[in-house]
Amino acid sequence: MKVKNLLLNIAPLIGLLILIAGYFVIGRINDINVAYGLKTIVNQSVVVAVVATGAVFIYTLGAFDISLGASTAVSALMAGIVYLKTESVGLMFLTAVCVAVLVSLLNSVLAGVFHLPVFVTTIAMLSVLNALALLLLNLGGTGSEIKVPQAAVKSLDTLWFKLLVLGAYFLFCFFLFDFTPIGRRQKFLGGNPLCAKLTGISLNRYSVIAFVICGLGVGLGAFLSIVYAPTLTRNTASSVGMDVIIAIVFGGMPVSGGARSRIYAAVIGAFSMSFLSQIMVMLNLNSGVGQMVKAAIFLLVVFIAAGERKMKTLPR
Amino acid sequence: MKKKLATKVLSLILTGIMMASVTACGSGADSSSAGSSATQKVADPASDAGTAESTDAAPAEAAVPGEPFKIGVLVSDATSAEALGRRHYLEDYIAKAYNMVFVYSDELGDSAGEKAAIETMITNNCKAILSESSFDRPAQIEQCEAAGVYYAVGSGALDAEQYETYKGYTYYVGSVGPSDATEFETGYQMAKYYLDQGVRNFAIFGGATVYRNSMHVNRVAGMLKAMVDAGGEGASYQGMTDPGAIIGQLMADGEAKTGAIGDVTLSGYLGGYDMDDAWFAKGAEMVQAPGVEVLLAVGSGSDFFGTATNGTDVKIASVDAYAQDYYEAMANGSLDYLAGKFSAYDGPVFMALYRAVNGNPLRDPEGNAPAFDIGYWISTSAEGCKEMLDLDGDIDHPVWTMEELNALYDADYAAFEAFVGDYAFDRIR
Amino acid sequence: MGEMKQARPTVLEVHHMIKTYGSTKALRDVSLSIREGEVRGLIGENGSGKSTVASIIAGMQKADSGSMTYRGKEWNPKTMIDALEHGIGMIVQESGTVPGISVAENIFLADVDRFRKGPVMNRRKMMEEARRILDDIGAEDLRAEMLTGALDIQSRKLIEIARVMRQDPQILVVDETTTALSHRGREIIYRIMRKMREEGKSVFFISHDMEEIMKECDALTVLRDGEIIRTFDRDEFEEEEIKRCMIGRELKGDYYRSDDDSQFDPEVVLEARHVTVPGGEPLRDFSIQLHKGEILGIGGLSQCGMHTLGKVLFGAIKPVDGSALIRGEQVKNEADAMKKNVGYVSKDRDSESLVLQAPIGDNIAAGGLDRFALGHILVTPGAEKAYVNAQIESLEVKCQSRKQYVSALSGGNKQKVVFGKWIGRGSEILILDCPTRGIDIGVKQAMYQLMAAMKREGKSILIISEEMAELIGMADRIAVLKEGRLEKVFRREEHPQEADLIRYMI
Repeated sequence: MKVKNLLLNIAPLIGLLILIAGYFVIGRINDINVAYGLKTIVNQSVVVAVVATGAVFIYTLGAFDISLGASTAVSALMAGIVYLKTESVGLMFLTAVCVAVLVSLLNSVLAGVFHLPVFVTTIAMLSVLNALALLLLNLGGTGSEIKVPQAAVKSLDTLWFKLLVLGAYFLFCFFLFDFTPIGRRQKFLGGNPLCAKLTGISLNRYSVIAFVICGLGVGLGAFLSIVYAPTLTRNTASSVGMDVIIAIVFGGMPVSGGARSRIYAAVIGAFSMSFLSQIMVMLNLNSGVGQMVKAAIFLLVVFIAAGERKMKTLPR
Repeated sequence: MKKKLATKVLSLILTGIMMASVTACGSGADSSSAGSSATQKVADPASDAGTAESTDAAPAEAAVPGEPFKIGVLVSDATSAEALGRRHYLEDYIAKAYNMVFVYSDELGDSAGEKAAIETMITNNCKAILSESSFDRPAQIEQCEAAGVYYAVGSGALDAEQYETYKGYTYYVGSVGPSDATEFETGYQMAKYYLDQGVRNFAIFGGATVYRNSMHVNRVAGMLKAMVDAGGEGASYQGMTDPGAIIGQLMADGEAKTGAIGDVTLSGYLGGYDMDDAWFAKGAEMVQAPGVEVLLAVGSGSDFFGTATNGTDVKIASVDAYAQDYYEAMANGSLDYLAGKFSAYDGPVFMALYRAVNGNPLRDPEGNAPAFDIGYWISTSAEGCKEMLDLDGDIDHPVWTMEELNALYDADYAAFEAFVGDYAFDRIR
Repeated sequence: MGEMKQARPTVLEVHHMIKTYGSTKALRDVSLSIREGEVRGLIGENGSGKSTVASIIAGMQKADSGSMTYRGKEWNPKTMIDALEHGIGMIVQESGTVPGISVAENIFLADVDRFRKGPVMNRRKMMEEARRILDDIGAEDLRAEMLTGALDIQSRKLIEIARVMRQDPQILVVDETTTALSHRGREIIYRIMRKMREEGKSVFFISHDMEEIMKECDALTVLRDGEIIRTFDRDEFEEEEIKRCMIGRELKGDYYRSDDDSQFDPEVVLEARHVTVPGGEPLRDFSIQLHKGEILGIGGLSQCGMHTLGKVLFGAIKPVDGSALIRGEQVKNEADAMKKNVGYVSKDRDSESLVLQAPIGDNIAAGGLDRFALGHILVTPGAEKAYVNAQIESLEVKCQSRKQYVSALSGGNKQKVVFGKWIGRGSEILILDCPTRGIDIGVKQAMYQLMAAMKREGKSILIISEEMAELIGMADRIAVLKEGRLEKVFRREEHPQEADLIRYMI
């Protein structure tokens, strides 16, 4: 039983290692540019990994935020507008982070004020943010794009900077999640909100904390999005919302949160997805089949994760 | 317990069958799924195993002048007639003729998608990128230059400022597509066709003019200039008669203003691609406004406004590509004039990339990457449209055959330019 | 009764039944039989096998080996529905109703088609039949049209009883059902059991409550560790001996407190002052004080408001009038109560006191993070481990390790984990709501001894309980509530009996 539990805990990591091995093996056979490919994988994982790491705090509570992609987009657009007005990368960074944190704060505070499940406010926020994105494009750009000059961010568009941001944010979240009462209380809330309330843990308070931490991640993700592709359009970060959910699940995070939540699930999941995508391309699978394979693996991961909970208990 | 196991196994088998069936339907067919990083490979008739499509014999036994390699193709539109036509030409003719592998991106939605797709293509050893997506061309060019991968613009062109910046880049191979001047002229000729017939009341669909897209802005400017020229003494658009000024005004406004242009009237204007109910209602209002005789569209007018003109005498003129839909629209009267691109635009672009990768890049006399201008085929009748359509889709005898393209392999700049410039339908047919 | 028993034939026999779960032997070669018209009690600690054998008889699961005969024929039901159709039905402890539908629809769950003619459902007929069945079992106040989700746990249990009884089972298994029921609900079950006996039908009655089992049963089979230890006939019923068979040893020492007098400090540590809370379990202008070093018992019928009182004093419910005070200061909320060193053990252990899908360590540590975190910020694994293990050891929680999930523990060990949560952080005042419900005798005794020890240390305990024996055994004073009001306070020295308490409860 112990061995089984251990295996279940590290299964996502094993999955990632298998995918990495597969990438190298198939890559050698297909004679791909491995080094360039690794850089590609980091580029394509890092925004999702950062945002999803912050989102782990929300999911741990058993909550859900559907507006993360839109929030990333709006933060990036506002930051882009600030750059165009001030030509300051520093201010652009600060704007991205502040806007993202504010949006997140609004989500959680509104939920508390109206006594709604926070998921509901994020649905409303999604619509608002989508509309806001269009408005920002009209106000600050040509109506279809906001163009931050490539030269402004070129020096930051490096592997090291992106890994540094991811690493620093991950360590920050890891510390909060595993070495402070925050993570533990959130897991408790996710496991049984009523019991947590009767143990003096306030759902409202820890929701706000979770959303603020996540907002920080969204802001960093928005900044990294600008660094990667400084021409911002209505489609900027459009896939982040869905990719965050998939990454978190791929990484072994239980969708209902609680005690089995792991802060590293997001990073494992995001990188697993990218390695899997590259393998699909190398195997010459057209994107329809590639999507289906991803979906099948997604279902398999969820099935395994859910299966461990259906432990047989004795009738007393 | 056994029953549960049997149920699970059965479920897995059924899921597998379902997946396999959908895959069988999906493979070989065009995919239109959006996704920035996934790519799909096409027709690899080379002898190595494990490739997607069956290998027919190459159209001719003639030797190709260079070595085959992988080309990545960026597409921002995977489903329109134009896109499908060009892909048909590349996949079903060029790839087989030259033993090439084309790696197509998914339908791209932004510059991040373009960048990710290029990264994936480079990872998969694409030696060249053929770009039909223009969210951020400078970024694409820079990315390819840094990675040492050749890059060309298919069916389009860099704007003047961009061209000046990138024409000397080692890995920038050039472009084949309508220049701004050609776009202007296309719009001009389209409007003039009707003005010469005495039409005096127009509506204009401006498309991406609202986004200051230079292609559409130039088309609209051409139309307005034609109206100014036919509008009689003192006719002007917003007080302007000079093409440059008209273009500048459109860039500033993001739209054309309705009103009188001499004795010509611009009764209606609609721009953008909202494609929601309100937008379609505005479109209907525009074409049904009293007096409107012709709708001049920078894109596909019959697709968007064909229904609204049903039962009216309003004619539609479009700029698009040759496709069965447009022939049928012409046949049933909902389309009257088509300025269309043809699928083999990519032939010369492909050859330019082919030369570059094989160590024989094409440069103009100043040593810069070429920007070849190419225009449209015009049809004003269903019969004419059908002829052009048939030639456009002909793979056995395509517009530009392998032999013709091979001749470009060692051609100098002048010959190449002349070849591309000789695109008129009457000449090619 | 003895002669009658001899005359009645055996209706069900179990032969050499074995059942194993993984490495745990739940039943080791169990053989028993029951006669027509017999009410047989099954008693044993958690893990003794009593529920396992009953659930196999009722078709919930299958044995690994062994056989059963029912009315002389081989008995091997495929499912519980199959078993019920053939005359053996079971009422379980867990919830078995669907909240989103009406009472009548729950009664006829899986069988609603009998009221369907073509596409049309004859709802009126369904409601009428449901009413008749509810009247039959004595639950006249439940209306067939009511939405099940709006009813309390007890009413929902009555619906399940109705569902089973409408099929007129010949053998009924009652599996710890009475635990969740109030006096009235229990009376309904007793009435059903007696009626079945009169009609020559049989009942397997599983309960932890020694008193009710000795009162209602004709015979009593004691199981321990998957084996039958002994079957007592009614005339052999003797509590101490039964207990000894259950736990395999003498219960050493006192069960409850040994002292007879109520000694405590005059300092008031916890107070309800003119508290009024409206609703299903109201309190009306209720005032009571808990003193330092006192064990104050709160008793009454299940809806009398005592459970509400516990939550009000812990800050979980705000009264519309009056106030709850801890050492003279108003309680704002649960976190505030905890800061003031109050702990709260809810009567709904699984849903309010524990996170079942979490390790023991998480459950214990959650209550004390502010105590062992460095600077209230840094939680080190070492500190957490020491904190948690201290509680596991001192309370003797039977578990594999602190990483084991609470859901795998028995009821008694779960409750120990709950206690550990509050004791670990050094709570000086404990509000305990039905603290020994569903717990083995051995563990119960340990808990009573713990409470007595805490009292000696000067800690204060408020016990809210529906078990009068428990209150009488443990409390310095007992406050009896009725319909939200304080009716009477007994002191320990007065030696109140159950009858005395009941007189003020009803």
